[in-house]
Amino acid sequence: MDSSTLFTNVRILDGTGAMPYAGSVLVQGNRIRTVGRSSAALAPQGATVIDGAGATLMPGMCEAHTHFSWNDAATLAGIQTMPLEEHVLWCAKIAKRYLEAGWTSCVGAACAKPRLDVVTRNAINSGQIPGPRYLAASQEITVPGGLGDETLPHLPFAEFSFGVNVNSPDEMRKAVRLFLKYGVDSIKLNLSGDNFTQDSPADTNWMSDAEVAAAMDEVRVRGKRGTSHARSAASVKQSLRHGIDVIYHASYSDSESLDMLEAAKDRVFVAPGIAIILAMLYEAEPWGITHAKAVGMGYMHEWEAAQESLRAMHKRGIRILPGGDYGFAMTPHCQNARDLEFFVKYLGMTPMEAIRSATLYGGQIMMKPDELGVVKDGFLADLLLVDGDPLANLSILRDPKRILAVMKDGVFAKSAEIAAQRRWEHAA
Amino acid sequence: MADVHYTNVRIFDGGGEAPFMGEVLVQGDKIARVVKSGHGARAAAVGGTRVVDGAGAFLMPGMVEAHTHFSWNDQPTLDAIQRMPPEEHILWCAEVAKKYLDMGWTSCVGAAAAKPRLDVVIRNAINDGTIVGPRYLAASQEITVPGGLGDTTQPHLPQSDFAFGAIVSGSEEMRRCVRMFVKWGVDSLKINLSGESITGMASDRCQFTDAEIATCVEEAKAWGKRVAAHARSCNSIKRCVTHGIEVIYHASFTDSETLDLLEQHKMEHFIAPGLAWLINTCHHASEWGLTPEVTRKMGYHRELEAAVETMKALRKRGVRILPGGDYGFAWTPHGTNAKDLEYFVKVVGMSTMEALLSATAWGGPMMKMGKSIGYVREGCYADLLLIDGDPLADITILQDKSRILSVMKGGEFHRAPPLRSMRTTRWAA
Repeated sequence: MDSSTLFTNVRILDGTGAMPYAGSVLVQGNRIRTVGRSSAALAPQGATVIDGAGATLMPGMCEAHTHFSWNDAATLAGIQTMPLEEHVLWCAKIAKRYLEAGWTSCVGAACAKPRLDVVTRNAINSGQIPGPRYLAASQEITVPGGLGDETLPHLPFAEFSFGVNVNSPDEMRKAVRLFLKYGVDSIKLNLSGDNFTQDSPADTNWMSDAEVAAAMDEVRVRGKRGTSHARSAASVKQSLRHGIDVIYHASYSDSESLDMLEAAKDRVFVAPGIAIILAMLYEAEPWGITHAKAVGMGYMHEWEAAQESLRAMHKRGIRILPGGDYGFAMTPHCQNARDLEFFVKYLGMTPMEAIRSATLYGGQIMMKPDELGVVKDGFLADLLLVDGDPLANLSILRDPKRILAVMKDGVFAKSAEIAAQRRWEHAA
Repeated sequence: MADVHYTNVRIFDGGGEAPFMGEVLVQGDKIARVVKSGHGARAAAVGGTRVVDGAGAFLMPGMVEAHTHFSWNDQPTLDAIQRMPPEEHILWCAEVAKKYLDMGWTSCVGAAAAKPRLDVVIRNAINDGTIVGPRYLAASQEITVPGGLGDTTQPHLPQSDFAFGAIVSGSEEMRRCVRMFVKWGVDSLKINLSGESITGMASDRCQFTDAEIATCVEEAKAWGKRVAAHARSCNSIKRCVTHGIEVIYHASFTDSETLDLLEQHKMEHFIAPGLAWLINTCHHASEWGLTPEVTRKMGYHRELEAAVETMKALRKRGVRILPGGDYGFAWTPHGTNAKDLEYFVKVVGMSTMEALLSATAWGGPMMKMGKSIGYVREGCYADLLLIDGDPLADITILQDKSRILSVMKGGEFHRAPPLRSMRTTRWAA
């Protein structure tokens, strides 16, 4: 028989947007068997019973814009120059940390070398390493001079580049086919520039429609997903025209882009990754980016536009998800839950909407809308036991001490502390 | 890390004496105190330490594997090992490193890696805490010659990336190759002096010229690195001695002159025969097409007989023979390494005490750590195994993970002792 775990005496925050209620949740095997409103359910024989003592039980969170292979360096070159072997071990280490921090699902948004995401996903799925459910991305595909082209005039080698440079629809098709051969779940296209790279700033556009069309043609043939780095309004529109489902950033908008997003709101996801903008403006001085310098780089202009754009998108019911560009020195990994606080503070979400963006919407972006992201009978048992009420204080979701337990697929990735204590007491 | 006080344990201290009942106090990463006591006697715990009542279990130094290939991936051919992509390969190595520590090997001496940087990266990742594993000395790939053991290129696929080893021809290519591995940060250079029957290059040949060997050793020593040789043939073993190659792997075929040479230089060399490879290739590889008839034709049965005779002779002459070797093939899977100790007892004729010492007392110098590991003595690193049973009575229990109750490396439990459930504790009575 499958192992069973009964959470009793928990406050269930089910992820749908409904108010929490006291109850109990029975997990059997890898699924939630029953969710009850009684706090004192009967445990089936042999079940592990966890008395939550009123703690919050909520769905595991989903990070919608994950870069395991960003290595907390301050520059793209600093990420790219990590050798391959070390890079794989780094990704494995970060995957484990995300899971233990409560991110039971992550959507890969690009990796720094061709196979890092695919290999990490496969190793998680085979049980070789612990980690969240993961959708593996390609490298960033870019064009010469665009974001991600880190080659230098005297070092033109492809291996030297952070992203993959293509320079025609045919080259695009070839690059996309190679990543599909490796087994990626999504293809990442850098459509706009980024203020991080001053020669290709955020409001510039780089890829031709013919190139994007070639990429999406191959993506559809293999039944995969296209994602885009799209900060400019034009690049958001280009994403939508070509059927890209996941739009990263979307800082700039115009009424046409907002209308197009709204029209596509049932298929499209926006993960703005605003943490990097805020960090560049206010927290990057140790790495030489003073506030004045960040303003000069265009970050304040972008930040003001992004707040306006994202607030408008939220009002129109466009799904905005947390995650994004953690893994730089100024946005270190596992601070990702800050996004939820930013959503409330700057985008006008309620705390409940912020939670929903990481749970209900998470199941949807993971392509499992009917079995992931909600505490509900029959759903996959990805659960967090949280000390406190995230609706009253979202910041507890980024405090490891408050994440009492993490369960993924019915198995504890982080066990409740109490069980461990009991073991040690009788060591002697 | 918390200090740990082992009480009520039977201590095998690595010095060759009979085990005694006593207590061991671990403070920080070292052994602070070893006390003999009467059976059942128990001293007061030092304040704040964690007390582990061994209930009479056997406490011994962590073992040293002298011939480790983390990157061999339990496949039947060199080609199948080589074809694992580097990303998967490094994760494999990390998994195997943990497995060795699980099985009580708190130190391992890398004997060659399947891709240039695998060993170095694993050693660094263990040392900086990224992954869990034993103390480790990182090896180069096998350095070989065109057509030699480790050259898995094909006529139509001559690219060096296809090769299992690093292929050189001529002294200057050797020098460049050694320098490259030194640049990556290896602790030792592995040179394939003899062939290997399974690869079509007979075991009883030496494939390098003296000039190439001399360049390898000269360049390695210039950088303060160790050289280790795959040396099955008599003439390749002699070259190890004449060129000052410290670690001799296999050493199957000898004559009286070679035995004399090894005896004369016995404190300058370590021998790790890797008998498991020979025994299992001869007798337990039929599932992979290597029936005893096939391996007899290859010459492995003749080599096994020769190797056993050599080891018996070397043992009598006091040459240091260490366990480990060529685990990581399909018929010698990782984690079964303690079989070597069983072979030492049953095939080579060592006492169980000698077999244990081969994995402990000789492990320290093999790890270039002198007497700071390999002993349960004050001041040594706390690399300690708690064993359910007596390996001196039955050496095979070291192959059973469930009998290895706990593994401590540098004062930290990698595997903490399992605790009795509440119902079976003493207050039931």
